[in-house]
Amino acid sequence: MQQGTIDHVQEGLGTAAEGGIPDFAEIVRAHQGMIFSLAYHFLRDRGLAEEMAQEVFLELHRHLGSLESSAHLVFWLRKVASRKCIDQNRRRSFWPKFRLDEIPEPEAKTRETDTLLSGALGKLVASLPEKPRMVVVLRYQEDLDPAEISELLDMPVATVKSHLRRSLDILRDKLARTVGEIAL
Amino acid sequence: MSYLEEDLKAALRRVEAPPDFTARVLERLAAPEAPKRNWWAELALLLRPPRLQWVALSVIAGTVIPIAGIHEREQRRMEGEMAKQQLVYAVRLAGSKLHHVQKKVFEISQTDRHL
Repeated sequence: MQQGTIDHVQEGLGTAAEGGIPDFAEIVRAHQGMIFSLAYHFLRDRGLAEEMAQEVFLELHRHLGSLESSAHLVFWLRKVASRKCIDQNRRRSFWPKFRLDEIPEPEAKTRETDTLLSGALGKLVASLPEKPRMVVVLRYQEDLDPAEISELLDMPVATVKSHLRRSLDILRDKLARTVGEIAL
Repeated sequence: MSYLEEDLKAALRRVEAPPDFTARVLERLAAPEAPKRNWWAELALLLRPPRLQWVALSVIAGTVIPIAGIHEREQRRMEGEMAKQQLVYAVRLAGSKLHHVQKKVFEISQTDRHL
């Protein structure tokens, strides 16, 4: 986020906590991409992701008074979004799993197949178990390091690293089977 | 960073939220909150005279139907058991008759041999 936006959001935090909806709208606009993306990459469903992201911001509105800074706000948003995504996934035990045979075959084995590769990778990420999936999304979408992820998900750093390592192995293996011998 | 990690970064890059996302959040915020449910009040309402009949009917139906089902199943089980016993008795009877006939045939054949 740019400095101007951060200042604006910090100003907004003060007045939004007092119930000023226009400032709250500014906060929503500034962070909607992050929260919607987290939910979308985790759930792979735009409708559900939007609903989840809306829930996160509604909960934010109820807790604005307890947030102290922009950094705290971002931490809070990521934490609540992660928790809600995992809860949602547990509630929907019938949630469709992506199978390898549903993933379209890329046409070529070169690195120009980025769009197809991204689509296949996104689906493969969505097939990971909940916690490793959230670790991967936070690591590669938000560029967080294992220590930050461990704080967000309330799990030891070693567990985060283990989830990351194992998820990469699984993804590498599945991807190799899916797209052939792309140089990994 | 490996190619896979680079690809993951590309695959998981942020996507735009729907254009009217903020408006929809504000809309939900402005909507009146649904009143909290008072379970005791709802229970008391159920037990008022016009609804009481339905509650009583539901309770009776909920009790009688399962009991009738259990009774029916028990009845069928007993009938089945009786039929099984009759069949076993019939088989035993037929067996003893057959044995008797075999014995008679054997005796006759022995008598014929002596003659």
